[in-house]
Amino acid sequence: MLLITLLLPQAASAAPPPQPKDFPQGVSAVSPGSDLWREIRQRDLPVEGITQVQGVDSGVLINAEGDRWARFRIENPVRYAPTVLLFVIAILVLFYALRGRVGIEGGLSGSMVKRFSDYERVVHWTLAIVFLFLALTGLILLLGRTLLIPLFGHHIFSLLASASKESHNLFGPIFLVSLIMMVVSFARRNIYEKGDLTWLLKGGGFIGKGHVSGGFFNMGEKSWYWMVILIGLVISISGLILVFPNFGQGRVIMAISHVVHVFGAIILIAVSIGHMYMGSIGTEGSMEAMKSGYVDINWVEAHHDRWARQVKENDKILSAEEFARLHGRKPESTDTATGQS
Amino acid sequence: MIEYLIDGPLWYFSLAVFCIGVLWQLARILFAASKTDLSVARGSASSGALRNVFSRFIPHHEIAPRIRVQVIAGYMFHLGLFALLFFAAPHVLFLEQNLLGFGWTPMPHWAFIVASQFAFFGLLILWLRRMMNSVSRLISTLDDHVAAILTFVVMLTGCLALLKGFSELRLLHRFTVELLLIYFPFSCLMHTFTFIPSRAFTGAWFGRRGIDA
Repeated sequence: MLLITLLLPQAASAAPPPQPKDFPQGVSAVSPGSDLWREIRQRDLPVEGITQVQGVDSGVLINAEGDRWARFRIENPVRYAPTVLLFVIAILVLFYALRGRVGIEGGLSGSMVKRFSDYERVVHWTLAIVFLFLALTGLILLLGRTLLIPLFGHHIFSLLASASKESHNLFGPIFLVSLIMMVVSFARRNIYEKGDLTWLLKGGGFIGKGHVSGGFFNMGEKSWYWMVILIGLVISISGLILVFPNFGQGRVIMAISHVVHVFGAIILIAVSIGHMYMGSIGTEGSMEAMKSGYVDINWVEAHHDRWARQVKENDKILSAEEFARLHGRKPESTDTATGQS
Repeated sequence: MIEYLIDGPLWYFSLAVFCIGVLWQLARILFAASKTDLSVARGSASSGALRNVFSRFIPHHEIAPRIRVQVIAGYMFHLGLFALLFFAAPHVLFLEQNLLGFGWTPMPHWAFIVASQFAFFGLLILWLRRMMNSVSRLISTLDDHVAAILTFVVMLTGCLALLKGFSELRLLHRFTVELLLIYFPFSCLMHTFTFIPSRAFTGAWFGRRGIDA
């Protein structure tokens, strides 16, 4: 509210200033240096000259590659990123409309199995929160000029861009640390194993009939995990190259890093929308895994039958009453538990 | 108008609430009625107090493995916040110009960034751990959550205003600081001032009875 109050006067002044009536056409003057600079930029000679100034790219008078990078940025990621993200959202909305929530045969039983420790959930949510913050600020920086200026004007956009840029740079290294914690906590259980390919060939249960077998993590979850780790590392490293220009990297390397950073981020944001959908409203009983750390035994049998067998062998199932006592909740009847996610 | 309010009356009001509130709370603790201990002393209360103040900086070896995350995140957050509060260049300048009349050498910009990353990361881990652990969640009060979120928001608005190019962002940061100052004396944030006396009191009690804890 305060921010809105602070920004309202600026929004009112976002309209372009009136043109002076005395000079409706303006005054055109040819820059005396244009021919010189054009010659430097377009000549058939190496762009790098010799100078006594010591530093990366200090011999380059005009960086012609910079134009190409700026054009590429506007013509590709800026143009296609909104389409990609909206397409993913549209697909999920359509999927939900046609298929609805993926339920569990027989509903939830109320008997719970421990899936994730407190620490593992802390690591997951730390990464998730930092990622969402970086995604939001990154999208403001990438698309703000196109989408926000027409809505709010130049001043508010530049304010948001300044705030986004500073916070994006500050939270970036935190994302990398969270990612490393994610590797340490989850990598071992995400190594591919026998049976994962069958899951893939059956499209995770969407192709053909019958149940698709899965271990502690199924093929889809493992692939998402490795995608987060690998693309996350690429985004982090390219981000560090951009944030720390003092390590000797030139403009070309930074332009390439920027392109890699943006494309990696858009892919990760797009797939993460699917992950958030599947983990919340898309699948019955999934959210509980990252809320309490426990999942319903029927959910385990429906999605991770190989792990369910191990759990039953080890007798690690908590009754509804035990689970409720452990979490300070009121015990629920099986019927009530069936109705909740 | 709103700029005048935040930089002027609201600032002085929040500062007054903070100072009077903290003094009142400390006085309340200090003058709380306690019975005179008539038992024969088995050890020194002073050395017990001193020992307890410092020994509690390191967790007891029996519980250390179970609370490793809280200890590391706790140190990251508190040390990061302390460095930010007293050694960030804008804060040193503000304290010099508005409160103290003198300043000191601020930390370099890179250290400022690292300190804020420590503070953000530590606070996020601590709050999430509070939410994820069933026992911690059950014993947490609304005050614990409000204090954590308010502190996070203050740090975040400060980070948004890092470029110093927009007065709106500076005002937003200052406004959240003022909210924190008003909330501070009546919340668990008072532990900033009470953790040392509290440790000393417990240590003195142990020391006098000859308890080695």
